[in-house]
Amino acid sequence: MRNARNASYLQVNHEIRRIFAEKGVILRPSHEAYREFKWTRAHFGQKPKEGYFIWVREQVDSPIFTCIAISSPKVSQTLRNLVVIEESIKAEICSTCNATKTGLCGNHMGHLKVILKENSELKLRHHHTWGKGDTVASSLTFSLGKGARLSHVYRCQTAPKTLKTDLKTTLEACSSASFEIAVLARGGNVNMRDSTFLNGDGSSATMRLRTIADKNSRIDARSKMIANGAGKGHLDCMGMLLSKNSTIDVVPELLNKNKDATLTHEASIGKISEEALNYLRSRGLTEDEAIDLIVKGFLGEEMPFKYKGRVLPSKVYM
Amino acid sequence: MLEIKNLSVKVNGKDILREINLDVKKGEVHALLGPNASGKSTLAYAMMGLPGYKVTGGEINFNGRDIKRLPIEERVKLGMTLAFQHPPAIRGVKLSKLLEKTSRQTVDVKEFSVNPDLLGREINVGFSGGEKKLSEIIQIISLSPSFVIFDELDAGLDIKNLEKLTSVIKNKLLDNGVSVLLITHRGNILRFLEPDVTHVMLAGEIVCSSKDWRKIWKTIVGSGYEKCKECKLPSG
Repeated sequence: MRNARNASYLQVNHEIRRIFAEKGVILRPSHEAYREFKWTRAHFGQKPKEGYFIWVREQVDSPIFTCIAISSPKVSQTLRNLVVIEESIKAEICSTCNATKTGLCGNHMGHLKVILKENSELKLRHHHTWGKGDTVASSLTFSLGKGARLSHVYRCQTAPKTLKTDLKTTLEACSSASFEIAVLARGGNVNMRDSTFLNGDGSSATMRLRTIADKNSRIDARSKMIANGAGKGHLDCMGMLLSKNSTIDVVPELLNKNKDATLTHEASIGKISEEALNYLRSRGLTEDEAIDLIVKGFLGEEMPFKYKGRVLPSKVYM
Repeated sequence: MLEIKNLSVKVNGKDILREINLDVKKGEVHALLGPNASGKSTLAYAMMGLPGYKVTGGEINFNGRDIKRLPIEERVKLGMTLAFQHPPAIRGVKLSKLLEKTSRQTVDVKEFSVNPDLLGREINVGFSGGEKKLSEIIQIISLSPSFVIFDELDAGLDIKNLEKLTSVIKNKLLDNGVSVLLITHRGNILRFLEPDVTHVMLAGEIVCSSKDWRKIWKTIVGSGYEKCKECKLPSG
């Protein structure tokens, strides 16, 4: 496995292959953390069977890598992951979940809860790569304390047969969250829900959602921003249809309960601009190469995972 | 190099170009003048093979090969390319990324006294008029072409920037034997690049061609494009 040696947590099918934490970070399998740290039980909800617990208690310089892979046919994972960042600590987590090859027909069900304590900061990059026969369901809960900051990039360049995501974020005073979510579906069904609650005064959030549907895909996305406190929120939902037999249904929703809050949104769904395509072809790219470049640009630039100056692939290879 | 014979082009079922003839030899600069909507850009797009510009008759011979049925990118491979008048914005794609994908030769942007940040920006997103033109020229040069069409390179450029860009065209293209078709309706660029042959297009037809661009320009400035219909200048 090319990138596994740098992983802080590596799980293949149901087996933990590596677990390693630098000083200042507590990293345990979820079921051990549930037993060892009683306070985590309320956050796990129910007793976990598999998954990780990351508790960043002191400042660490290197990013924490987690890799969860399916490498055998018909494996069904049910993961309960918990991340806690202590007060005023800055952390970066690079996380990959993937099938190591197509045709495994795996099932990946992941529950991730992230708690950012007062004035802490987390950059979380999450990459999914699946095969056409896989089914994936993810629920993510982010809880931001006062002054906490979150940057979450979720990218699924090859969506599975079915992908279901449910994201819920709560923000206390003066905290901020930035989401960049990009999904490319080719022959799959994608169902995405996100709700962002601006509970504290001075809280702010932006949700940037990019979806591309190709080859008989259906994408259904509901993105909601709720202002309870005097915060600022913005939804930016854009979709691109690459084939006639695909559909994208995006509903941005704003609910404002505070007269001092500001919520805005923009949304559009369209096809690739013919003009842009011809322009790139006039630079020598074939039509397929031009589409590929436009699609990658639309989804957003993929920032490489770096560890101690080295670039790591955003997928577990076996 | 490039020989167009009796080329007729339709756009949306409407005849736009009628029996156009053009012969551009290696290393020559040809200028094509004409009022708005006379068909100049249509000729450029038809030469490049853009969809929607239907060749209904004639030939476009490039180095002895009729290219009128080739897709755009095949024409580019043969050495032909176009600098657009209004290049589209391509969100999310950095100029450096496009150059990485398409360049046949490395271009040192420092030579163009361009802010290197331009390469790290999304193509034509928020570019000024000058930056768009510079971006076009950098892309063109990186393709190592043998024939370039500049569609209204001078539109929206101040005289200083125009002088700078024409100097780049001279040094990087003309001095290397590249042929150029310059589409314009302004005189300054003619002064900077001094075309070998200048043509006037009116209502989809080339009505005048001359080696003396000054006389043509003088006629246009003095009496307007309509006077070109009665042009008595010797062609060729």
